[in-house]
Amino acid sequence: MMLAKLVETRTVRTLGAPRSARTRIITLVSIAVALGIALALPYLGTTAYVISLVTTILIAGLLAASVNFLVGDGGMASLGHAGIAAASAYGAAWASRQGMDPGMQVVFALGTTLVVTFVYGLLSMRTSGIYFLMVTLAVGMVVFGLAYRLSSVTGGENGITGIRRPDFIAEYWTFYYFVLAGFVLGTLLLWVVGRSPFGASLRGIRDSESRMRSLGYSVPSYKLSAFMISGIVAGFAGLLSVWHTHFVSPSAAGVHRSVLLIVMVILGGVGTTFGPLVGAAIVVLVENVLSNSVERWPTVLGLIFILVILFARAGVVGSLQKLFRRWRRRSDGPPGEQDLLENSPTTDSSHTA
Amino acid sequence: MFEPVFLAQQALNGLSFGALLFLLASGLTLVFGLMRIVNLAHGAFYMLGGYIGVVIATLTGNLLVAVIAAVVAVGITALVVEVGLLRFVRGQELPEVLLTVGVSFVIADLCLAIFGGDPRTLPVSATITGSLTIGPLTYPWYRIFVMAVAIVIGIALALVQSRTRVGAIVRAGVDDREIIAAMGVNIRWVFTGMFVVGAALAAIGGTIGAGMISVRPGIQDEVLLYALVVVIIGGLGSVPGAAVGSVLIGLIDAFAKAWIPDLAYFTIFAPMALVLVLRPTGLFGKAA
Repeated sequence: MMLAKLVETRTVRTLGAPRSARTRIITLVSIAVALGIALALPYLGTTAYVISLVTTILIAGLLAASVNFLVGDGGMASLGHAGIAAASAYGAAWASRQGMDPGMQVVFALGTTLVVTFVYGLLSMRTSGIYFLMVTLAVGMVVFGLAYRLSSVTGGENGITGIRRPDFIAEYWTFYYFVLAGFVLGTLLLWVVGRSPFGASLRGIRDSESRMRSLGYSVPSYKLSAFMISGIVAGFAGLLSVWHTHFVSPSAAGVHRSVLLIVMVILGGVGTTFGPLVGAAIVVLVENVLSNSVERWPTVLGLIFILVILFARAGVVGSLQKLFRRWRRRSDGPPGEQDLLENSPTTDSSHTA
Repeated sequence: MFEPVFLAQQALNGLSFGALLFLLASGLTLVFGLMRIVNLAHGAFYMLGGYIGVVIATLTGNLLVAVIAAVVAVGITALVVEVGLLRFVRGQELPEVLLTVGVSFVIADLCLAIFGGDPRTLPVSATITGSLTIGPLTYPWYRIFVMAVAIVIGIALALVQSRTRVGAIVRAGVDDREIIAAMGVNIRWVFTGMFVVGAALAAIGGTIGAGMISVRPGIQDEVLLYALVVVIIGGLGSVPGAAVGSVLIGLIDAFAKAWIPDLAYFTIFAPMALVLVLRPTGLFGKAA
């Protein structure tokens, strides 16, 4: 497929030699520092607004991570993931409006997530590339249509308000820790799956479906499984978002949301572990700042999207990784095995399409 | 519910809506056939064409002038998009498609800024009024006119593709871009031309369609969904597929709206799901 340009950074890293001890230490230390700051955040004299904003970023980052997993490891660009998250949110919201307790909200959120994700997966598992994108887009539009027109269940255009979250996370800062824990667990899950044999097979399918099929892999079931994993993470993010804002409306399922997720992923860096979070942070911040001052927000969003695709396809994290590698190459002297691999044609998956 | 007049009425509704879908889907499928781009700005082109068509028709009272104005304006927009943006990512499918999403956002939002949020329809002065009466059946001439336009354009597209030099170049370009480029054809400009033609078809659909369904914010996503469903069923890149898919979806939609209005949104989706499960490339599609 022609996804090569978008998944370039990931391919390089998975095919490259094991990262050096120094790189690993730097990565671990920076993760520890980031986590330390995140844990200390409510004690740093921050306002409830800042905590709420960071919570929004973490939820968006988790949702973007679920898309990133599909694009990066699976080569499947989903343009309908907002629909999955919204389905989960609607499940929880509906249960809440029926007066059910938070436990049942979780059950309904999970139930709708599984059903909707399975339908998505079933319809799209035999397609790839552009076809996959179109099918997920179409299914996402149907979820939006459902949310909009099935007003007896979804409240139509007005959505559902007043969703209560469990008592133990009722405070904004306890909820923040809950979301932080959820984000770390979700990211860890996707990271582990990405590095498992399953993840390797998935990347094999991404690079050459026909080769994997002739090796005896059941390509559709791998794609469906990947979609289910991604969908469950997305559904969890949807539940978190409805608990965060106490509100869900059709726009949560809209094409715009799905596109924003792709923007986050590309902006941060496709296939990188922390790219989605960085992308989500940029988008959420821009959105919150701009929506106060610029009425033509969708135009700005569209322009950002166009500029990112034209000029910054490696994304922030991807570009930093590239810079870092170049800097290391210079400081380490003659090129090592990793650099040779990096420049060899086998790392360009477009040749294997 | 099953009276002949009612059935005929719904069948005509379905066929006229199908005709509009064909105007919409043929452009989408042509662009994909040659350029491998699923132009997700197609709905926005339809919307822009519709608004401009309505404005010009209100000013002049002449449908032909309105269509020409819409085609020119949307054609220029498409030219700018192709030369100014898409050429920079030529050959990279996913970035190409995603760029068109960004374009769609910008166009739809600018339409909202310029034309406002109220639904707009073609003024009566620019539509074909009156209705055809055969016994107990009456049917508006305008919808029959839409069918006629779709049939004329469908035949014209088929003739251009099969009988002219331009058609031969396009057909060759679909099969092998490198060879046709090596034979001295400037394939880049063929691509550009194709993109503009696809957008022009959307503009025609937008203007003429404004006599059947109003142009309003959000219409771009709605018509894009219908067009996507049609080309997924018919097979991307296939004009006959677009014709068959349009008629099928038009009829299903009309009868579903009459018989099971609550489920109408899903009835267009069911055949798409069925086709995708059985034939992922569509009825007339070739493997990607």
